[in-house]
Amino acid sequence: MSATQHSTPAPDAPVVEAVSPLSEAFRMFRRNRPAMAGTVVFLILLAIVIYGALYGGDPFEIVWAPQTPPGEDGFVFGTDYLGRNLLTGLLTGGAPTMVVGASAAALSIVIGITIGAFAGYFGGWVDTLLMRVTEFFQVLPALLFAMVLVTLFSPSLLTSSFAIGIVMWPQTARLTRAEFLKIRELEYVTAARAIGARDRRIMWRVILPNALPPLIVSATLTVGVAILFEAGLSFLGLGDPNTMSWGMMIGANREYILDAWWPVTFPGIAIFLTVFSVSLIGDGLNDAFNPKMRER
Amino acid sequence: MAALLEVTDLKVEFSTRYGDVTALDGVSFSLDEGETLGVVGESGCGKSITALAVMGLIPAPPGRISAGSIRFQGEELVGAREGRLRRLRGRDIGMIFQEPMTSLNPVFRVGDQIAEAILLHQDVSRTEAAKRAIELMKTVGIPEPASRARAYPHELSGGMRQRVMIAMAISCRPKVLIADEPTTALDVTVQAQIFDLMRQIQEDYGVAIIMITHDMGAIAEMADRVAVMYAGRMIEEGRADAILDHAGHPYTQGLIACIPALDPEVAAADRPPPLAEIPGIVPPLHLLGKGCAFAARCDRAFAACTDMPALKGGPHAVACHAHEPQQQPTAGGA
Repeated sequence: MSATQHSTPAPDAPVVEAVSPLSEAFRMFRRNRPAMAGTVVFLILLAIVIYGALYGGDPFEIVWAPQTPPGEDGFVFGTDYLGRNLLTGLLTGGAPTMVVGASAAALSIVIGITIGAFAGYFGGWVDTLLMRVTEFFQVLPALLFAMVLVTLFSPSLLTSSFAIGIVMWPQTARLTRAEFLKIRELEYVTAARAIGARDRRIMWRVILPNALPPLIVSATLTVGVAILFEAGLSFLGLGDPNTMSWGMMIGANREYILDAWWPVTFPGIAIFLTVFSVSLIGDGLNDAFNPKMRER
Repeated sequence: MAALLEVTDLKVEFSTRYGDVTALDGVSFSLDEGETLGVVGESGCGKSITALAVMGLIPAPPGRISAGSIRFQGEELVGAREGRLRRLRGRDIGMIFQEPMTSLNPVFRVGDQIAEAILLHQDVSRTEAAKRAIELMKTVGIPEPASRARAYPHELSGGMRQRVMIAMAISCRPKVLIADEPTTALDVTVQAQIFDLMRQIQEDYGVAIIMITHDMGAIAEMADRVAVMYAGRMIEEGRADAILDHAGHPYTQGLIACIPALDPEVAAADRPPPLAEIPGIVPPLHLLGKGCAFAARCDRAFAACTDMPALKGGPHAVACHAHEPQQQPTAGGA
């Protein structure tokens, strides 16, 4: 398709340093300012969250008068309706959000890629069956379904991750299937078969690496969505009750928003910054992997 | 003497929305050790399907081999178990593809891809396979093989990529090499280099080559014997020089007339039109009638052509009613 330059092979031509498609994409990513800004913000948030998880203290401890405004009496972010230090909550509340977000995304990606790969590679009745199952999960209202799953089992970090992962995989599955459908028709797949590779090898070693770029982008965005889901579940009181999380802080303080804006606003900003930075990273990856999309 | 590869009455059908269409019908040929068989025809004649059928790679849900046999060293491959076919592929029968840009996996280094092919069939260590990959790259004439082995496909020129494909295909010293239009996507000068390379490999390895092409020039260059295909059937078969000099089928004659003449005097004298062509296109397979598929495009078609002509006539066989009356000028001798 692309016009290839056929230079006459000069034996003494300098051999260029091999650049892998991945490292090339990484270079494009580093030149993308919004994406790099997102990365920096995300890394800072991650550092804060890790620090908070280790040295943040007890976010449930009541330390001062309820609803102390930010900046007063030495409380940078103020206190909540029970007089708990918001700074401690913000520091420690990020860990469950991020852990659940990441593990839910990981679970949904593993399920999605597996199901999508089998459906796309084998086609026929395997495809039909797996896609019907996928559609079943897709038509269920996601948050509601996740709520049902969490309430069925007792709310904990594990059940939240599981529930969110279960409701999010259909998208990844469909994307993976589409990529596999496209790539399995390409000549290098036939070539792999022609050297005697078996199905397993063709699926995971030949097609999957070529399907990765859109999947990496989608995985990144999935992390953002999963974090929102976690915040949503915690907001509704379906998070782990023994773990303070940003969503839980918003949920617990929502009734007093007219008296005190800060206990709701600061965790909200924290969630926003996290999801926004992750989205910027995802967009940057998308641009890096799809150079054609960049000239919009 | 049993041939290395013997294909008899091969019939391949595909189910499509027009019903079942016959992509290959009664294709027979044999291939001896160290021989080059050229398979010629326009796009859509069934050349590539023939190659895929021999490899056991006909896409299974829509297509199937519905009749005939493919024998490799006496072993029947039609209906053989997938595991058996997989061991033959790459080890005993290698394949080179048309488009070297797309037939290499873009995300792996070429050296690793050749090593993969070795590891699939030979019990050697990874380092040993990598070493052999570099040796193979040297064999196929890639300069500085050690550093090029670390290159990705997009960093190599078309000719280099095709050399890598050839290195992969011969990595296990196959007995048969199927080359599906190996030079179509390449420059003419590079084409000549690839032909030279294939001839040299044939000499060194004693490999039999099935060379699929639509280019009669490539046939003249490479083939010992030729099979001409049209609309899923073989319409002429024989020694390459016999067919090039005395083509029996009007379609073959047309293909030969399509070779442009470079010599201006010859072009002026012998061939009034600057570039000959065969009018029309290969008919869609689902619209084939009972008669000769070429009749609609043939200027010698007559009443008998509504019946399918059989491929007959000794070592230089032709499937054409119009051909029958005249004696074959070069048929036999002994």
